[in-house]
This record gives sequence, structure tokens and C-alpha cells, in this order.
Amino acid sequence: MFYIPKNSVHKTVSRRKFLELGGGTAAALGIGSMTVGLGTVITRTPVSAASSEDAKWRQYEGTKLVFMSENTPPSFAIRDNIKAFYDLTGIEVEIITDGLPIVQQKVGIDLRGGNSDFALSYVQDKPIGAPFADFYSDLTPLLGDETLPQDPEGYGRDAWFENFLDVCGVYYDRDRLIALPYDSAVACTFYRQDLYEKYSKEFEAEYGYRLEYTKDSTWQNVLDFATFFKKLRDGGEDVPYGYAQHNGNFTWTTQLDIQRMQFANGRWIDFDIDDKLGSREPGPCNWGDEQSVLIMEKFKALGDVSHPDNLANGTLELNTVYQSGQIAMQVQYHEFAASVENAETSVAAGGKTAYAPCPKGAPDWIVNGGDAVNGTNCGIGGIGINGNASEDVKRAAYIFAIWATSKNTQFDVLKGVGGTPTRKSVMDIPEVQKARTRPTDMPNALTFDAVYDFGIKDPHFVLGPKIPEANEYHNIVAAESQNCLAGRTTPQEACATIKQQIDNLNGV
Amino acid sequence: MQKTLRAKRASFSAIEEDHGYAARRLDYGPGALNEEPKRRYHILLMAPAILTLAAITIYPFFWLIYMSLHKVSVARSDRWVGLDNYARLFGDVKYTDGWLLLVKYSALCLTLEILIGVVLAVILNGSRFEKVLVTVFLMPMMMSPVVAGLVWYYLYNGTFGWYHWLFQSIGILGETSILADIDTAMWGLVIVDVWQWTPLITLITLAGLKRVPQDQLEANMVDGAGSLRNFFTVSLPNIYPFLLIAILLRFMDNFRFIDHILVLTGGGPGNATRILPVYLFDVSFQFFKLGRGAAIAFTLLIVTIVLGLILVRIFDDPKKQVASGEAGETTDD
Repeated sequence: MFYIPKNSVHKTVSRRKFLELGGGTAAALGIGSMTVGLGTVITRTPVSAASSEDAKWRQYEGTKLVFMSENTPPSFAIRDNIKAFYDLTGIEVEIITDGLPIVQQKVGIDLRGGNSDFALSYVQDKPIGAPFADFYSDLTPLLGDETLPQDPEGYGRDAWFENFLDVCGVYYDRDRLIALPYDSAVACTFYRQDLYEKYSKEFEAEYGYRLEYTKDSTWQNVLDFATFFKKLRDGGEDVPYGYAQHNGNFTWTTQLDIQRMQFANGRWIDFDIDDKLGSREPGPCNWGDEQSVLIMEKFKALGDVSHPDNLANGTLELNTVYQSGQIAMQVQYHEFAASVENAETSVAAGGKTAYAPCPKGAPDWIVNGGDAVNGTNCGIGGIGINGNASEDVKRAAYIFAIWATSKNTQFDVLKGVGGTPTRKSVMDIPEVQKARTRPTDMPNALTFDAVYDFGIKDPHFVLGPKIPEANEYHNIVAAESQNCLAGRTTPQEACATIKQQIDNLNGV
Repeated sequence: MQKTLRAKRASFSAIEEDHGYAARRLDYGPGALNEEPKRRYHILLMAPAILTLAAITIYPFFWLIYMSLHKVSVARSDRWVGLDNYARLFGDVKYTDGWLLLVKYSALCLTLEILIGVVLAVILNGSRFEKVLVTVFLMPMMMSPVVAGLVWYYLYNGTFGWYHWLFQSIGILGETSILADIDTAMWGLVIVDVWQWTPLITLITLAGLKRVPQDQLEANMVDGAGSLRNFFTVSLPNIYPFLLIAILLRFMDNFRFIDHILVLTGGGPGNATRILPVYLFDVSFQFFKLGRGAAIAFTLLIVTIVLGLILVRIFDDPKKQVASGEAGETTDD
């Protein structure tokens, strides 16, 4: 058909050789793409229930798995300590970390696309668990599998802190468990004790009570504190702002900011559903009712006297503002205590910061007849296994999941870069008990009284709605709260438009 | 000439019939360079490229249309919803606001980039340090948009950002940083885009300025024209086609590049910077509404194509062509 040169390649290479070369290239490309693209390699040595524990741990020796996780301390610490897992099991785990919004997108595409590039992934309860629950593997058959190693403490609800297993592992169906609690971020109050003591008399002269923060301090008190500090600043004094909100561009944490204030005042929640279980059809939302509008007004009032960069401060930025000494108080997730107590990066270190539960609801702010509680919300990050993976990959991934959530690993993480345990038994370790008071080499332990002994217990704990449309829901609440804080809409308008959009979203 | 060609074709066909394709080589000597090759042969040669192009552009285009007409589940079967995804867009305030914000953002970016880019090019053209300065000015363009976004995120930061301090010191901003204010956040994004992409306009304009005929400029000066008049009466008409290319490129880029916006504001505060492509990203990869996302993408694509065609038509305007054509002839002379 075409002109063929006399010295063409195929005339100098034999057909057999050509086939060998072609086959070799194809095989190399195939293996290369598997290694680079998929990342997961599985090898297995069969074991039985009667096999030794060592054999059960090592049954997938030579396997390679990829774990996509958030860039939080546990993942860094586990990555640093991954050799211990490799020595124990012979399984190589590549831990990829990124910001939560990116993790959410990558994991979402992997799960929903029917792939299993990430055999393991971080299941942050609402942003990842709620929309993708159906695509994770059910762990319940593996929990009782005698051919797999198991944690001696078990995986029942009592093994973890209150509600943690339900928050990150159970979605819409009580018979399925899709994740084990891996880390936690629970809100509590960080405040500058030194500044509170310094300005106490001045504050008392104006407001009639002491400038001090306790578990009974209300959101009304916080508003007073913030107003007081702002007035001092406006008068030319070199003092920080009294408070700052989380209202940056990560919508989940932005909506959590108003959620805890709403719950504290009358235990108001968005939908009349069981937040531990969630619902695929949550029905009409409660936004726009009298209680929600009143708290939106108060939220706006607090925003007006808070740090001026509220609308750019996400969780991390807010903590930077606090570390730099620009605010006297923040409601922050307890995993940040480690950075606040780092004298090299924080002016609030060295005993200047005290930790307490989240503010309580103010009786005057409650119109729905509910109780005033210390509304405390959280993000419980689980570790889940990709439902698209093969059975062997799931089993190998399970071995990593139980190791990563074991008591000893959590203790190592806490000691290392500052973890946030999810297993109750970690609290029983004498070193941890000692670390809960200053001086401490585990700064996060300073928050444990406020968080584990108080905030996460009923009636204070608010889990937030688990609905399949969680991410769009967060986006709506965050954007409209920001519009209200910026003065673009009134609190009434903001609540009304939230209701209209959310009800529309849920087909109500 | 035509006779010769016909004769050659006839001779080629005869050889081809007698000796097969191997004989074709005989007719591809230097004298046959202007030969009109066989159409089928052309198609065969282009087929791999066409098929590859089809696989990576045409197939996704039709897949986009398919998705926009379905409720897409990716891993599970899709459900036909007809035009529902499109119908919903008309009642979606974020969609309509997204268009308005996109127009505002593109207009601001394009206007500033063209103005600053042309002025810079004029200043640089023929200056003593032209090569060094052009290299320096091109540096932002070499940066990935995500990295540029991160760099500016830190520069704008209200706690430690150097630019925030600068803006505050000269009274442009108060204590609130540029990205934390609904009224200024869009400007924060425009500044980043202008910083990164003005060098492209400068570069393209500079290339145009190099082609402005000196004799025209000199003749104009002899007639008493100053520098400014020289620029508007001689240089500008000559660089007009170059500017149009620059506008077309940047116009389409503004519809596509959202990397720095995602890093800097994510569309906030409120929805102040949620231009349509950002909303499209949210719908598709945050909310995983792929069908709805495809409908948004399709409308965005159509509008981009239509506006692109209008720009190309302006570019092809015969009146303007005359101006640039005349300039070209003069240069050749």
C-alpha cells in the first residue's frame, strides 16, 4: 500500500524479536501504569482462624496500599512512624495528605467513579462521610473475622469516646459501619488568662461582673468581652480584639461557627432528625424560625465587635490570629492547642492560654423553650475502606485501619506531634493523666478536661445534620451567614434565604 | 502551468496502475513538490491525529451533552431527566449571579491588562534594558496559577501579609484585609490576574510594535506628530491584530482559570467572588451534581464559543485587514 524503504526496521528485526520487544514494552507499560496510576498492589498468604497472631498480621506481606488523608497531626505522625507498621505486617502504606476540601474532592471522585486508587481514606463525618457513605465498605463483617488480627479492646461504642463511632461510622443505616474513629477535632474555648486578669477590674467597673471565663460563661458574656476589648482598642489602647469568628472560605467550618451558638441557645438544630444516624430525607429545615433569627442577630452583633478579618479567617487562619496575639479569645478545635503552646510560633504560649468548654447559651436569648447548654461541635475523622476495592485489598486495608486506631498508635501520635485520641483507654495511661496539667509535653492534653470530660457529653454535644447534600448545605449556610455578617442582608433575610435554599435542595 | 500539472497527474496515475504504490516514490522527486497529493492519502496520514483529537475533544463534548440531560451517578446507571438540569438553572440565583460576576471580573481584568500591558510594551520597546526587563516581567507568567494564588494569599493575609500592611499604610484599606471584605475581594482577585497575565499582553504587544514600519513613524514625525499622536495614528493600527489575539486569549483564559480564585477566596465572602466557573466547580466537585454541572458547563461553553467567534469576526474585519495589510506591504518595501 505504502512505499516501504529497503532498510526499514521490520526487515532488520525478526518477527519473533519484534514480538518479544512489543510484548516486553506492553508488559512494562502495564506494570508501570499499575504502579504509578493505581498504587495498590496485593499479595496474600492464606491464614486460618487457628493461625498465629503474627501470621494474621503478616498475611498480606508485600502488599502496597494508598491512604488519602487530611493534613492533620495523626496522619503526619503515622507517616513518620509507618516503619513500625511495615515491620509488623510487611504491608507498605503510602499516606498522601492534603487539605480537607482537596481530600473530599479526590476521594469523592475515586469512590463515585467506581475506582479504588485510595484503598483507605479519611472519612471526615459530614463533608466526606455523609455524601459518600454508600461507596465505603461495610466494616462489620471484618470486625468479627477470625482470620484477621483484631484489636483486643474491640470496636464497640464503649471503646471510643461518646458518640464518636456513630458520628464518623454510621450513616442512614444502623447495621452498616463504614469507618473507625481515627482523630477528632472538638471545639473548646482558648482564652488569654493573662489579659483577662489584667483588665478584670476595668471590665467589672463597666459591666458589673468579673472578666473571667468559666464553664458557665454565656455567649452574652462573650459578646460583652468582645465589646469591652473593642472599646479599649477604639480608645487607642494597645490591646487585642476580644474575639474572632471562623468565617473563612472553607464552608464546613464556617457553618459550624454559627451551629454551636444556635445549639447552645435552646438546643436548636437544623432538622428534626436524629443526628447520630442522619437522614436521606430530612424534611423541612428549622431555619427562619424565631429562635434561629434571634441567634443570627446575636451572631452578627458578635461579628461587629470581633476581629475585622472574620470573613477571611478559616480555622487555620483564626488560630494564626490567636497565636500572633491579635485576639484574646477564640473557640477553636482542641487539636490546635499544640500549636498555641509552641513558644516559637505563638505569643500565647507559656501558660498565658487557658482552656475551657464552649460558651453556654444565654437564657435571654432562648425563645424556643429549650435549655441553655455549652453547645460543642466537632469533626470526627474516621478511617474508611473503599467499597470498590477487591476483598483482599479490603482485608489488607482493615489491618492498617485497626493499627492506626489502636491505643498504642494514638498514644504515640499524642506524644509526637499532638494527636487527638478517639479511644477512651488512652486517657487511662498514666503519662496522659499527668500531661493534663502544666507543665506538659503533650499540650493537647490541656484541653481534655474541657473536651472529653465535658464538651462531648450530652446535653452539650451537637453533631450537625448528616444528609447526603451536606456539602451544598454547608455552602448555603456559610455564604448566607457571611452575607449577613457583611451587612448585605438582615438576619431575617439571611435565615429566610437559607430556609428557602435548603428546602429546595432537599426537595421540600 | 495547469497543463503541466495535468500531464504529471496522468503520468503518475499510469505509473501507479502499472507498478503499484512502490512506484509512487519515483514521482516524488524535487520536481513533484507542488504536486497535488491524493485526497485519500492525505486522509490516511491525518487519520491518527484526527482520531486522537476526536477522542480528546469531540467525545467529551458529546459526553458533556449526555451528562447534562441525565442525573449522573458515575458508578451507577444514569437517569434521563431531559432538560431539567437546564430548566433549574433559570431559577438558580447563584447561576445568574455567577454570570454577572464573570462579566465583571473579565471586564476588569481585560481592561487593566490591556491598558497596562500596552503601556509597558511601549515603554520597553527599544529601551536600553529591554531584554532584561522583559525577562523580569515574564516571571509571574511562568508561575503556576495555584502557586500564584498561594503567594498572594500570604501577601494579602491580614495577620502577616506584607501587601495588607502596605495597603493599610497608604490608606487604601482599613483593618479588614482585601479578601475579607465583600466589596474588595473581587479587586483582590483582579490584582492577582493582572499581575500574572499582563506580561502576556506586553509580550504580544511588543512583538507587534517590532513590526511597526519605521518609515511611517518618521513620516508622521516629519509632519509634526508628537509621540502620543504617533502611537495612536501609526503604532496602534499596526498592533491592532496582535491586540485582538491577546484579548481573545485572555478572554478565554478568564472563563477557564479559577485556580487562584479557589485558593484565595473559594467564591466568598458570601458569594462575592463566585464567578460562574467557580460555581461550576462547586456544583461538580463539591456537591457532585455532575448532571447539573454539565448543564452549566455547556452553557458556559456555548457562550465562550459565540463570544470567541465574534472576536474572530472582528479580527477578520476586511477594513482592519486593509490597515494591517498596508502596513505589511510598506514594511516589505
